[in-house]
Amino acid sequence: MPFGHAGNPANRDGLVQTFTFKPFDMPANAAALREQVRAFIRDNMTDGDIARRANCWQVNDPDFSRALGKAGLIGLSLPRQYGGHDRSALERYIVLEELLSVGAPVGAHWIADRQTAPLLLRYGTEEQRRRWIPGIAAGEVYGCIGLSEPNAGSDLASVRSSARRDGDGWVLNGQKIWTTNAHIAHIMIGLFRSEEGSERNAGLSQFLIPLDTPGITIRPIINLTGEHDFNEVFFDDVKLPADALIGEEGQGWAQATAELSLERSGPERYLSSMVLVTELVRHAAKGGDPAAIALAGRFTSEAWTLRQMSLAVAGRMAMGEDPALEATIVKDLGNSFEQAVPQLVQQVIDLDLSSDDPLALLAAQLLQVSPSFSLRGGTREILRGIVARGLGLR
Amino acid sequence: MNEQQTMLADMASALFGDLSHGATLAADWGRIEDMGFTGLLLDEESGGFGGGWADAAILFRLAGYHAVSLPLVEAVVAARLANDAGFAQHGFGTIAEKAEGQFEQGRFTGVVRGAAWGRNAAFVAAPAPGGGAMLLSVGDAKVEERENPAGEPRDILHFSGAPAATLTVDLFALGAAARSMQAAGALDAALALAVGYVNDRKQFGKPLGKLQAVQQALAVFACEAAAANIAATAVAQALDRGDFDYEVAAAKIRTNIAAGIGTAVAHQAHGAIGFTHEYGLHPLTRRLWSWRSEFGSEQHWSMILGHHVTTAGADHYWADMARRSDATTPSSPGCAGPGEQA
Repeated sequence: MPFGHAGNPANRDGLVQTFTFKPFDMPANAAALREQVRAFIRDNMTDGDIARRANCWQVNDPDFSRALGKAGLIGLSLPRQYGGHDRSALERYIVLEELLSVGAPVGAHWIADRQTAPLLLRYGTEEQRRRWIPGIAAGEVYGCIGLSEPNAGSDLASVRSSARRDGDGWVLNGQKIWTTNAHIAHIMIGLFRSEEGSERNAGLSQFLIPLDTPGITIRPIINLTGEHDFNEVFFDDVKLPADALIGEEGQGWAQATAELSLERSGPERYLSSMVLVTELVRHAAKGGDPAAIALAGRFTSEAWTLRQMSLAVAGRMAMGEDPALEATIVKDLGNSFEQAVPQLVQQVIDLDLSSDDPLALLAAQLLQVSPSFSLRGGTREILRGIVARGLGLR
Repeated sequence: MNEQQTMLADMASALFGDLSHGATLAADWGRIEDMGFTGLLLDEESGGFGGGWADAAILFRLAGYHAVSLPLVEAVVAARLANDAGFAQHGFGTIAEKAEGQFEQGRFTGVVRGAAWGRNAAFVAAPAPGGGAMLLSVGDAKVEERENPAGEPRDILHFSGAPAATLTVDLFALGAAARSMQAAGALDAALALAVGYVNDRKQFGKPLGKLQAVQQALAVFACEAAAANIAATAVAQALDRGDFDYEVAAAKIRTNIAAGIGTAVAHQAHGAIGFTHEYGLHPLTRRLWSWRSEFGSEQHWSMILGHHVTTAGADHYWADMARRSDATTPSSPGCAGPGEQA
């Protein structure tokens, strides 16, 4: 069966089950952990610009990140010897969803905590781990991901930026684009073509690049709202030591795609518009408008379902599995939900988008930024292609 | 799934695959009873399986997957309710969607609607006009035969001063949960048919499944089927916990949405052949369209869930959603039954 799951008895006779669910227990300390995060939020989140609570994992606030690190709420599942907290993946999940649900400005450290530190833990040298991970867990060291290039977006295997051997070390040349947070990040994990003349996903390697290395130029790309999230990054004979290579030479593609399940199924893939849902609940409770109440009910159903799906994937990953197809489904459905929220709020409620009504401010912000939700981290079309392949099509 | 659930799934798959939408009550009900499926939610002292809602979800999903044209799901729920109420059973029971009339001093006068296979059932559980539910003997009723678009009997029962036992259970919610579980199975089955069809059928010199437009549509369908299945699984956990109003509403809304999208894609992918009586898609899609309306539309449950969350208030919105999964899943299926809800 194309996407039956080996070992799942319901599929033995050819039954399709689209989403394999295995019961798991939430951590026994879940409620206490939630209360710890909520107390931190009460003490550290100011009542500033409410629009900054939308899509909050792309909102940078280094002060907030440092405070969060000091409170022991970053690097939760990283080993204690590198400044982490030795907690389980599900405990980390709980902390993340608590932060995202209220729109905490977690953008500065998000990528470093989610991707950079785990990658270094897996492939980095002992020296690299000691050099970088404690700062990440402290909320002081930030990362960015160097994948996209001017001619390599969804077609990532078209990467042309090069890494060539130079004595013991490496020399990088080329250009990355749409690099979120390159302007605040300390390090980049970049994908470069390390074998001259290689094609597609062969001959690629991952490198750890301190962004203050000579030869690197970072230029802002201002987004449609006038804000500065992403950048162009130019590499002009950038010299790196031998140990800048992460993992194995030529295995960059496999390494970069191995952890996509973690990236695609996290709570950030459906919670980017959650603060607007919460404001809608407030609006509906105050006014009693039946259409608003019904919309709140519908959003609750979708968010509840997505949360079950995202948690199910997290639970299976905690058991050491890689439910890649399920993770892809979570991202596609989650992004569609986050994008539908501002559209439906606008459809159902008379909003004055020039007012300072919180509902209007959040809706206006999300109407503008939500198109990016189904572009970042794998476009909708790419994801659906992956799901189709999982179905046995192609 | 634990070992017992695996056995249950294997037994049910084999039987339901054989029965499918061609089953008839006269010829095939005995096979259901021989397996003891109607006692799934009864404890062992009452001659049942001692199962919980997680087990029922497996059975109901498979009944939906195979479009079994028998009142199995309804009989399982009704048997549990009758047992809890100490209501003497002869023959199988069923559940109904609505009742209008007067229910006073243990007697009901009025109309019960949407009684699945009411004409054949010995007794019926129906939501009571003033809240709660009631159990009635079908022998006391005048039966008006009706059916839903899938051809499943959905009879109207007229009662006049009939004795009725009282239940405290929210039967409409249990019915909605059951339909969500069936719909989850039917969606997966329709998806499997559609995938098989587009891989076989060649146009423009290649299988339809090679066309990106077809792939993307079926990917959308797969996401919807996945959402319905997780909702059906999670609502069973809530039923086993005994605090399930929120989850039933959420699950029925989500499976209804999935049914709307999934049936449309399934038919579009199949082209004309899926529109024929001979082909096996309509037993699934016509059931999905029927079940989408039975035991509450999206709007009905959205208002209920919307009132729930607005009453709790925005400041408790997230905490309420999060708390509901922190209660750990019972590792052995508990049996906090429908009569014991908080």
